Amino acid sequence: MAKLTRRGLLAATGWVAGGATVLYIVRDRAIAVAPTIIFPDKESGAAWLQIRPDGSCRMFFSRQDMGQNANTGLAQIVAEELNIDVDDIEGVLPNTGEVPPLAVTAASMSLTAFSRPTAIAAATLRESMRERAAANLSESLSAILDDAGGFRTADDRRVSYADLLEESSVMVEFDESKPLPALYTYDSAREKKQVGHAAKPLGIRELVTGEPVYATDVHMPGMLYGRAIQPPVRNARIASLDTSGVAGIEGVVELVLEGDFVGVVCNIPSAVDAAMAQIKVTWKLEQPITQNEIDRLVDVDAEMTEGDLEHLLVDEAHNKDVDWAIDLRFDVQVQSHAQQEPRAAIARFNEAGAHHKLEIWTGTQDPWAIKRSASRDTGLSEDGVVVYPQRMGGGFGGREYYEVERDAVRLARAVKRPVKVQWMRKDEFTASRSRPASAHRLRIATDNQGNLSDWWHGYVSGYVTLARERLPGWLLPVMRFGEDSGVVKGAMSPYSAPHQRVEYKDVDLPIDLGVWRSLNGAPAIFAIESAMDELAVQQGLDPVDFKIAQMKGAQPRLQNCLERVRKMSSKRPLSSGAGYGRGFACGIYDGRCFIAVSADVHIDEATQQIKVEHMCCAQDVGMAVNPDQLRSQVESNMAWSVGMALLEKFEVADNDIQSSNFDNYRIPRMTDMPRLDIEIIDQPEIPPAGAGEVAIVAGPPAIANAIRQATGFRALRLPISFADIV
Amino acid sequence: MNLYVNGTARQVEPAWRNETLLTVLREHLGLTGSRFSCGIGQCGACVVHIDGKPVTSCLIPVSAVANKDILTIEGLASEDGTLHPLQQAWIDESVPQCGYCQSGQIMQALALLNETSNPDDAEIDRAMSGNLCRCGTYDRIRKSIKKAAVALSEAANLSEEAQ
Repeated sequence: MAKLTRRGLLAATGWVAGGATVLYIVRDRAIAVAPTIIFPDKESGAAWLQIRPDGSCRMFFSRQDMGQNANTGLAQIVAEELNIDVDDIEGVLPNTGEVPPLAVTAASMSLTAFSRPTAIAAATLRESMRERAAANLSESLSAILDDAGGFRTADDRRVSYADLLEESSVMVEFDESKPLPALYTYDSAREKKQVGHAAKPLGIRELVTGEPVYATDVHMPGMLYGRAIQPPVRNARIASLDTSGVAGIEGVVELVLEGDFVGVVCNIPSAVDAAMAQIKVTWKLEQPITQNEIDRLVDVDAEMTEGDLEHLLVDEAHNKDVDWAIDLRFDVQVQSHAQQEPRAAIARFNEAGAHHKLEIWTGTQDPWAIKRSASRDTGLSEDGVVVYPQRMGGGFGGREYYEVERDAVRLARAVKRPVKVQWMRKDEFTASRSRPASAHRLRIATDNQGNLSDWWHGYVSGYVTLARERLPGWLLPVMRFGEDSGVVKGAMSPYSAPHQRVEYKDVDLPIDLGVWRSLNGAPAIFAIESAMDELAVQQGLDPVDFKIAQMKGAQPRLQNCLERVRKMSSKRPLSSGAGYGRGFACGIYDGRCFIAVSADVHIDEATQQIKVEHMCCAQDVGMAVNPDQLRSQVESNMAWSVGMALLEKFEVADNDIQSSNFDNYRIPRMTDMPRLDIEIIDQPEIPPAGAGEVAIVAGPPAIANAIRQATGFRALRLPISFADIV
Repeated sequence: MNLYVNGTARQVEPAWRNETLLTVLREHLGLTGSRFSCGIGQCGACVVHIDGKPVTSCLIPVSAVANKDILTIEGLASEDGTLHPLQQAWIDESVPQCGYCQSGQIMQALALLNETSNPDDAEIDRAMSGNLCRCGTYDRIRKSIKKAAVALSEAANLSEEAQ
């Protein structure tokens, strides 16, 4: 890739066949986190867009779509800068052969990291067009005014973009030595036509008509079907293997055995099921896979009794021997992503002489990582591998690694035919890189005015970003001297206390772990917001008043969210009957996203159920590029809040993963959903903050606090069941 | 062996006759709009109609539906591309996030509206509780069903008046 000049690259992909193309690469802003890139950096692409000779606009989508519809927001920014309509933009989802590596789609970072480069690219293109318009109309640059789809003069002479372009191509590159062009997106005084307005997700028609958009929908001539055994944990090794029953299955093309990799290829899908059922494997494990073992490893009290925890985040005039008003332990369960689409991939090896020796179709958050991994796995050069990213049927942090793709690649290589691998739901649970269990000890003391004097939060969590099998084995121990950026999420309390200590230990659990919506944000903030609520209740104070007071004016955006949610919820009278309660919680995700939630619950003795009836949310998102899609993300986070608080628990026992399908891992259904009131707080002068995994940090503690208000029961362990309360 | 899918007779080759209806639709007939998700009839992503009734096609052997009328999401819009009122309502309310479950949701909603022209919240909840959406688009699904119900009854009134 690096050998191609940028112009050559774009020519190779047909981008400079005509019209004006802008390519913007961010320089000197390398904030790379191995092995994937989080921010666009100087080696990665940020924005490509083009106005074609007919005046239409085309952009490469820089984000992988899994339901967050971030590309729609970026297209709105392009439309705002170019004075066109978002529907006039044609989006192209590039494959890994077409553009330099794009950053992984993760961490609610898409709009935060890509809005500005996208705006700069589009504004650069617009200003270059303005220069052409000035020449075309024989006017000074300052006399050329914006117009829909082009420019005009004060005396109303008009030129469209199409008028300014010929069939020959122009390439525009942003010159960093020059001042930035005016960025309309970031001009808070501007009355915007695109940014800040609801836009339909691009491609929505295909989703309601059942068009093929997911990896599993791909079909090709000569394709076979295969699947491989998923171990209960990735560091398991085969202890015994019996494949003798496979030979008798009609339709089996090949049994593939490569070390601990065991798979089959068949000419029809049902034969894959039959053959897989005949493979008997037992595993040699490094740790027992049991709930007891997980509980033992995250036992925060045992660890704190032994002394200081491994990592210290805050240590300000800490006192150990204090008369604690609150001294509670909170235990948070393991959860799986359980996205609706079980992963699938198709791999095809091509004859010698083909440009790409290996082609892979898959839905992934990180296509370039898949390309690198496939290259390492097969020994092919990176240039010899191409990944065609497909829409994901949900991601939530669980789709960053070479997994189902590996199965397809190895099986296709063995049979020299294209192979489609469709994971079963059980494979999806077994191979889950789950949100770890964690345990939190929260101690709070107050002075004689009732204000916080001492804060001590110690917790133990399984690894998140530094989990085993997420980084190369040689790199992992080195990285683990530093912070796991997932385990530290949510740990910083928004409340002021003169004496504070926040410390944690991260541990290997006997299951595979990884990134799950909000990382440790939801677990840590569940503990913090539950503890603060309990303290308020014990002091006989209103929890919202108390929390705002303890922010000491230092968290104006969070305070605003909390005040607005209180106002919203006050318009919904809570039933005065027995078993009804209302709770509040707030939180900051990643230092940049602010959320407050209220929850109304009904503990129904008759049906023996906890029902969340209503939730109100106020989220400060910075600039709201697409308010309706932000609202969608909040709705989704509220569903996940109900799941985390009341329903979901990833079960292990007997050295195996027991959660296998939706009949034993319960995710929220329509009947579990509360009614929602959502307010998106738009701050046009602040860059967009992201929303994909924000509101879930406040939803679960709001539900727990509502149960406390309804019944007096303080939830110390998730998920909460009716039986816990009585 | 023939299937009647979306009004068209489709031949099922002998090699595919031991597969599920969902597998045949997706892998043999190229109709990939019905999605595979749980494989045990617990999530509704694969719902199609057989002789007008909604079924989870992942559980139905294709041999059991020979010569029956099958309607899939691909058969819902008119041939001129006009969307069914349910599909249009889904767009108007921007329902899909990842979109994977939505074919099944729409087919299940269609079955509801075929039985109940103006469902209330409880009827919608009851009819749709077998259709999972991990993105949590339930609130918008409810709104869209109500909107489509209105559109369908208005269309029915218009055609009555025309007669």
